[in-house]
Amino acid sequence: MIRTIISFASVIILSTSFSALAKTKVTWSMESNADRDPIMIEKLQNAYNNSQDNHELVIEFEDNETRLTSMRTAMIGGMGPDIVETPGPSYVKEYHAAGMLENLDSYAAEFGWKDKMIPWAYSSGVFEGSLYAIPKTHESMVMLYNKTLFEENNWKVPTTLEELEDVAGKIKAKGMNVFSYGSDGWQPTHEHLVGIYLNNYAGPQAVYEAIIGEREWTDPVFVEALELLKKHMVDEGYWSGSLENYYAIGWDDFHAQFANRGAAMMTIGTWTFQATQLGIGASDDEWGWAPLPSLSSQSPDPNFMIAIGTTMSVNANGKNKDGAIDVLNWIMSNKDKVLDIAKDFQFGEMVVPLTLSSSDIPTDIAPQVQDYLSEYARITGEGNYGYCTWTFWPADPGVHIWKDMEVVWAGDISVEDFLYDHQKMWDKARKNGDTLPVPLRN
Amino acid sequence: MKIFSNKNFVAWYFVFPVAFIHLFVIGIPSLASLALCLTDWRGLGEINYIGFENFIELFDDRYLKKAIINNVIWTIAFLTVPVGIALTCAYLLTGIKRGQMFFRLAFFFPYMLASVINCQIWKYLFHPIHGLGGFFERIGWDFLAVSPFTMKSTSLFAVAFVDGWHFWGFLVVIYLTGMYQVDNHLYEAADIEGATKFQKFRYITLPMIRPVFVFSIMIIIIWSVPVFDYVYILTGGGPAYSSEVIANYMYSQAFERFDVGYSSAIGTLMFFYVMIIVALFGLFRKAGWDI
Repeated sequence: MIRTIISFASVIILSTSFSALAKTKVTWSMESNADRDPIMIEKLQNAYNNSQDNHELVIEFEDNETRLTSMRTAMIGGMGPDIVETPGPSYVKEYHAAGMLENLDSYAAEFGWKDKMIPWAYSSGVFEGSLYAIPKTHESMVMLYNKTLFEENNWKVPTTLEELEDVAGKIKAKGMNVFSYGSDGWQPTHEHLVGIYLNNYAGPQAVYEAIIGEREWTDPVFVEALELLKKHMVDEGYWSGSLENYYAIGWDDFHAQFANRGAAMMTIGTWTFQATQLGIGASDDEWGWAPLPSLSSQSPDPNFMIAIGTTMSVNANGKNKDGAIDVLNWIMSNKDKVLDIAKDFQFGEMVVPLTLSSSDIPTDIAPQVQDYLSEYARITGEGNYGYCTWTFWPADPGVHIWKDMEVVWAGDISVEDFLYDHQKMWDKARKNGDTLPVPLRN
Repeated sequence: MKIFSNKNFVAWYFVFPVAFIHLFVIGIPSLASLALCLTDWRGLGEINYIGFENFIELFDDRYLKKAIINNVIWTIAFLTVPVGIALTCAYLLTGIKRGQMFFRLAFFFPYMLASVINCQIWKYLFHPIHGLGGFFERIGWDFLAVSPFTMKSTSLFAVAFVDGWHFWGFLVVIYLTGMYQVDNHLYEAADIEGATKFQKFRYITLPMIRPVFVFSIMIIIIWSVPVFDYVYILTGGGPAYSSEVIANYMYSQAFERFDVGYSSAIGTLMFFYVMIIVALFGLFRKAGWDI
């Protein structure tokens, strides 16, 4: 009996070892997040590894800032992970220009990736006519509000500037902050607000024209947009009560502020859905969302800003390019598996821009998220979409938009001077060929 | 081969491992940085020689000027406040016979903590919700309602205060060591002459600890140039560049804007600035200063 058990165990151990040996390792350097990592291991790494016998995916999690630096250093040295994850197209552009990424055209054609993806998202990875990156997650900006609080006070969810300023006055009169938000720990938070005001005041068409170089950033419509943002931020203290408090408050604090009625609304990206559901969603209050209000007649219709959160590429110097391609193709070909991962994050992460029908949307997610997904698809499908700065701005103007906005808010330079500098940076980026792919507008 | 077994050569065997590591960690990157400041390298890809373009841009950069001014303010602040407090406390401590070790440890303790921990402590203390401001607000006072780290007018001084708080205990220890070297007979003679405590400090202690004191001044001036961690953690140089310093600005250019060439040019300026300071101290020493 003992002999039989030993023989049986040996067979199992040997077969497992041989199968592990037969598999070639595919490495993926991924942004670490304590809540997300176990799900990524279970539903991405293990699910992929169990689906085939050729490759073994190994995800290496690391704090994003450290990860980007170490990955960059490794890639300069001709090494690095097989799957290169970046925070957006401006990073892809740098790696592509240095010849460090694999051209994915032939694989896209072979596996039909283009047909599986939302067109604008596919084109965001196309550099000099070839595909070099696939979005791992796409996102947008929304306005969250405390639905229970709004109903109690008979407040109307604002859809225009007049309505926003009206309800803001009423919220402040109640001793609450209008919006819960802050930049402590992540200075680029400013660009979320700048993007909202550019798109919802000047309008997506004007922003598009400026991106493609048919309009100057010094155009009065952009000046007015940023003057309005300055007024709301500095004079009115819409975000967390004052500019200084906005600077002092970070992710946990602004979610707590929104959950405990310290603020009635929040302007934030859709990556927050999971945190919102765990925060205010766990309280007695119900939350709702709405498209960001139209701030002028130049932007009359509701629009959603489109953005790429993270991208996936294949390292041209990687040890296992075939394996990396196989992993990407597994993601592109297993919509149900990808949706199952996104579901666990309330569609705040791993929202691969695959084309979905309404029946694809899971029913066991927060109803607000279900509603958002439908509305996002409908409104962007009608062509009403704007542009997030971190996806469509080249590196230098992209940093300028959040780093130097503080100088405008401090009153050290005028909005006109800020936009004059901004235009100069765009001119330089255009001259150097540093601009990023932007989908053609209907 | 005899040269390698020469007695005078033995010291080189001990120096070699450190020198070898320094060559790779400091020497080669420093030389590379000197070369990169004449290029437009963005951290990846092609490196193009652009002559002195980065330096021309430097002299036109209003935020770098702001950072340089802030560094000067920082240096002056550190040459006065922590030095003044540390000298006073060290002198007072020499008069304490019982419990002196407790005070030495208490003053030195912040210096032993990691900068991240020091920063988090003060960040929370000044936090408008969780910190002292929030506490005072709940009892009806507006005191500290706004974090000094987030106000343009106070951010630099607030960061300097936290760094100074961590640093002055170190100065106390080195001053105290210097003061213990002073011959006690000098104080006894002064006592016989009826000197006050201040007169003893002014005419005996201070001149006798001059080498230690000047050394502390030199390291403060040199350490103030690459000051980075406290600024980076507490304010990131903001708001609106109000607490920006040269090293943080250089980091931002290299790792946020990926302008490695420009960043190297800033580094080169810093290098020459430090070299000038070191050369000045060297000249003073040659001129007979007891440094």
